[in-house]
Amino acid sequence: MTNSNVDKERLQASMARLFDIYKEIAVVADQVSTWRCLYKDQHDRCTAKFGCRNQLHSRVPGELPVCTGDDRLDYRSAWEI
Amino acid sequence: MPIVHEGLKKELEYVTRPGERKHIEEIFERADPFLHDISHNLIMGKQHEVDRLTKEALDKGFAANTVLDDGLIAGMAVVGVKFRDNIIFVPEVLVAARAMKAGMKHLDPILSASGIEPLGTVIMGTVKGDLHDIGKNLCIMMLRGSGFIVYDLGVDTKPEEFIEAVIEHDAHLVGMSALLTTTMPNMGRTIKAFEDAGLRDQVKIMVGGAPVTQEFAEDMGADGYGKDAMACVEKAKELLGIGAVAFPAPAAR
Repeated sequence: MTNSNVDKERLQASMARLFDIYKEIAVVADQVSTWRCLYKDQHDRCTAKFGCRNQLHSRVPGELPVCTGDDRLDYRSAWEI
Repeated sequence: MPIVHEGLKKELEYVTRPGERKHIEEIFERADPFLHDISHNLIMGKQHEVDRLTKEALDKGFAANTVLDDGLIAGMAVVGVKFRDNIIFVPEVLVAARAMKAGMKHLDPILSASGIEPLGTVIMGTVKGDLHDIGKNLCIMMLRGSGFIVYDLGVDTKPEEFIEAVIEHDAHLVGMSALLTTTMPNMGRTIKAFEDAGLRDQVKIMVGGAPVTQEFAEDMGADGYGKDAMACVEKAKELLGIGAVAFPAPAAR
């Protein structure tokens, strides 16, 4: 099979598989949002584009702020525009 | 053939459920080592590398189906497992999804040439005054994965920006997000702007965000409300009159 000759059935199966992966991600994201701020990355850095009282800014330029939230409170109340 | 890519082997250590590990390993073992590099870079969220390597794979003559299955989707499967097991979180998932999009850019024309059209074109944005984007970004990931073309206007999107994007891309669906009660009214203002521009009948408008409800959506004149990313996809299909269809070419943009 060449690039211009796509196996349509296989493509449909591939897209269904990708959608299933994304679907599970969406379900997990919903669950995670109840116990961890969704903007907090795996290194506990804040990726939000807005200010939050839980952000501890680094002195290193370009470095993401550290999230100091304890996740025990509703983090959403700390979000600011 | 055994997996020799050290980075990928390390990533596979995160896949601990035996059946799942076996299945994913089998995919990687049958794949060409060149595609391992695409998978690994996608897992690491390196969009520029995925962009370059996907193009290179196609130039080398790899079939589009193979690049999609054994490179991009195989990598995303590992991302899904790592997320489910709390090794990575939403920001890392979204970075990987962005890398997926970078790779899909090269596959889209080939896949579209197979005769399957995208489900539709959606304009997405967080409304004016609001900088919260993670829910919107999850919706976009899901919409793209379902086969929609999505143009992301980002955050703090003015009504006129939504309108310009609809005209420019000939879109029939708009998705607006707001997370603050103070910015929710800007959804209504955007809908009013579409009315004033004489475009309201040409587009369906769906809304979402933590403080938004079905009732609020109806009050402001939206066509639909989605409470989460899955509901967003279902609502998008419903509003465009798409039933349970087979998955088309992803046409991620």
